[in-house]
Amino acid sequence: MTTIGIALALAAALLAQTAIVRMVASEGLPTDLVLIVVIFAALSRGRLAGLWTGTAGGLLQDMLSGGIIGISGLAKSITGVLVGIAGSRFIIETIWQHVVVIVLASTFHTVSVLGVYALVGAVPAATATFVLSRAAAEGVLGISALTLARAVPVAVQRLSRRRAARRSWAVSHHG
Amino acid sequence: MEHRQRNGYLVSAVIVGHFILISAQAGGGHDGSVLEDVAFRTFAQMQRLLTSARGAVAHTWSHYVELRDVQDRNDALTLTVADLQLLLQEQRALAQQARGLQELLGLRQAVDLRTVGARVIATAATPYVRTLTVDRGAEDGVHADDAVIAPEGIVGRIVGAPGPRASRVQLLIDHLAAAGARVERTRASGIVTGSDDGTALRMEYVSNHEQVRVGDQVVTSGTDGIYPPGFVIGTVASVAPGPELDLTIRIVPAVRFSRLEDVLVIVSDDEPLPPLSVASE
Repeated sequence: MTTIGIALALAAALLAQTAIVRMVASEGLPTDLVLIVVIFAALSRGRLAGLWTGTAGGLLQDMLSGGIIGISGLAKSITGVLVGIAGSRFIIETIWQHVVVIVLASTFHTVSVLGVYALVGAVPAATATFVLSRAAAEGVLGISALTLARAVPVAVQRLSRRRAARRSWAVSHHG
Repeated sequence: MEHRQRNGYLVSAVIVGHFILISAQAGGGHDGSVLEDVAFRTFAQMQRLLTSARGAVAHTWSHYVELRDVQDRNDALTLTVADLQLLLQEQRALAQQARGLQELLGLRQAVDLRTVGARVIATAATPYVRTLTVDRGAEDGVHADDAVIAPEGIVGRIVGAPGPRASRVQLLIDHLAAAGARVERTRASGIVTGSDDGTALRMEYVSNHEQVRVGDQVVTSGTDGIYPPGFVIGTVASVAPGPELDLTIRIVPAVRFSRLEDVLVIVSDDEPLPPLSVASE
């Protein structure tokens, strides 16, 4: 992921979260699309990318939501750094390894946000079910995104191979 | 090693910076920064574009491709019902105010609500805050703390400095929101706040001696200086004696916040307003 790619992914995630999701699901999705971008940025580019992506994405989320600015920024920065460290210490390649990372990162992020809210005396919804359902939903979403990101280049490659094979067949039969 | 140490300092500095930012707002002193203003305006433009694009596609589909006439009539009827519901609420507010003042003071007072119709263009970017972004702002006469209503009842209030053509609305179900309220049948007063689960409301400071029943309608009392009196908040879903001297009352809000598309902002000043939308006429 390039820096521009991360910035575009963050903007797309924020727009999708605020304006597009409500068009297709009126109740909204119990997921944090920006967090998914932070996790993938940290896994692909390391802890510093996780830090800056988390800071930028979290602060923008706070600014757009009208709550206390800095809470999402703080939680996402730390989450990004921790995911970046995990990515540099462990080999995270398979789908299941990604599931574990996303679920752990999501749980840590939700608990961090709730913890900071508790520190400033304004605790929102905070049940174990809420934390776990978010982690599960974000796990599913992250894996879907990963599968799609891996499948699209393969499909494109296959398509171009088929076209090339057809072309060479046509040339050999008509030429 | 030095590189790692430098990264460590950087991470620590960013974390400390966040804590300073949060503590600066914890006392309620946050008034919005230039950066926040710019981010909000920029994204509001994009959100408005997306909503318009979606509206155009939906409009084309529903009006020209599928059930054109039926859809038109349905739209007109929906607007009429919404207008009538709003009119009913305004009349109720008027009647309550007039009755109370006539009884107590022998005075008359008319409610003249100046409203501006607004479309919801975005929801909050985090699930911990219950806000919406609407496509009306300072250029339309909207100010911070203006009340926002829907035909079914109270929606919330404008928070933060509105952008030129967009504003944020704190929903009544937000865990930090509150409104002065009373039970319509008994006139027992209290404060309605958002609840932790973000779906229902709580009514607090209602004495154990008050006779509140399930099904009672709860309306705004007007004591908070934001919401006009007599507007519907919701219906009592459960009542139980609280641990102290007050009742524990749970309220189902009248408004379905997840399905809000169009709202009315009650404009609080005397500046000239732009033409009202159909929904607010």
